[in-house]
Amino acid sequence: MKKVILVADDSPTIRKFVSVALSVKGFEIISCSDGMEAIEILPNQKVDLVITDLNMPNVDGYELITSIRKNGEYHDLPIIVLSSLGNTEDIQKGLECGANSYLVKPFDPKRVVYEVSKYLN
Amino acid sequence: MDQKISMENIFQKLGDLKSFFIYGQKLIPILQKILDFMQDTVPLLENVNRSIQESTSKMPKAALQINSVTNATEVATTEILDIVDGMAVDVQGMQSKLESLKEKIGDDDIASLLALVVKIQERMMNITISLQVQDITAQQLSSVNHLIQSIQEKLGGLLTELDNKENDELTVDDHQFPRDAAFNADARYDKNTNSQELVDSLVADNLTKASQAEIDKLFAKQ
Repeated sequence: MKKVILVADDSPTIRKFVSVALSVKGFEIISCSDGMEAIEILPNQKVDLVITDLNMPNVDGYELITSIRKNGEYHDLPIIVLSSLGNTEDIQKGLECGANSYLVKPFDPKRVVYEVSKYLN
Repeated sequence: MDQKISMENIFQKLGDLKSFFIYGQKLIPILQKILDFMQDTVPLLENVNRSIQESTSKMPKAALQINSVTNATEVATTEILDIVDGMAVDVQGMQSKLESLKEKIGDDDIASLLALVVKIQERMMNITISLQVQDITAQQLSSVNHLIQSIQEKLGGLLTELDNKENDELTVDDHQFPRDAAFNADARYDKNTNSQELVDSLVADNLTKASQAEIDKLFAKQ
């Protein structure tokens, strides 16, 4: 059974990019454009890993990660941040919210595959 | 005696009046110059006012045009990614066929063809990395749009104060502007790995901290 990855990013290009990089490795991708949509998808869909941007409208990545971690059901759900925010404070904040990995844009698709495989294989 | 004092007072007052008139005579040309200057300035200020008004009303159009550029690059990038995706599938098929041929025949030419396929795959990967520039520029353009909107708000406020009335044309209507997208104004298209190295070191640091916490927890139990 394919592992399901939820990708939350307001950029259609990045959603497509991540989808292309991971679907060839046999993962099923569900994508959405902000944190609010991601929060709505999670209870209705079995998700094995979340990849999220930080700068998003409505509910941003920090809020999404915090809300996932607050829910005991998703306590161990791996979360990978994919963001153009590359300074120490943003990275620390992302990790403190509960992200497991953090990748800075522009990113190498091989690295995304590696990070995902770390948690799903 | 009293008459003498009052006459002196009258002469004193007349003297004051005379100096006032002399002063007035000197002041009149200056006042005239000020008046002329103001007469020249008023049309100039009206002109400035009109120009600001015009520029301000054009700002939403500029913002919408920037947004349409973002949308067009987004569509084009997605199309290129679709093509690269299709090519990746084809190249992967080619690779597996070449590998089975290599097993059957074991030809050196096939081995070199396989190396070439790997090179093509790497180049395709590089194309997709470069295409991420679209996301970075989209964020930068969103930041420009946000700036334009703020400037229009400031200018609109200024003109309303100058006209001392509400000017409908200058009232900022959020719908005139494209949807305010979330953006990172400092987003940069930088392929050097410094930022990722910083992340990796911070993640490693966090893991070390977690391990220390776990050790402490373990000792606390004992």
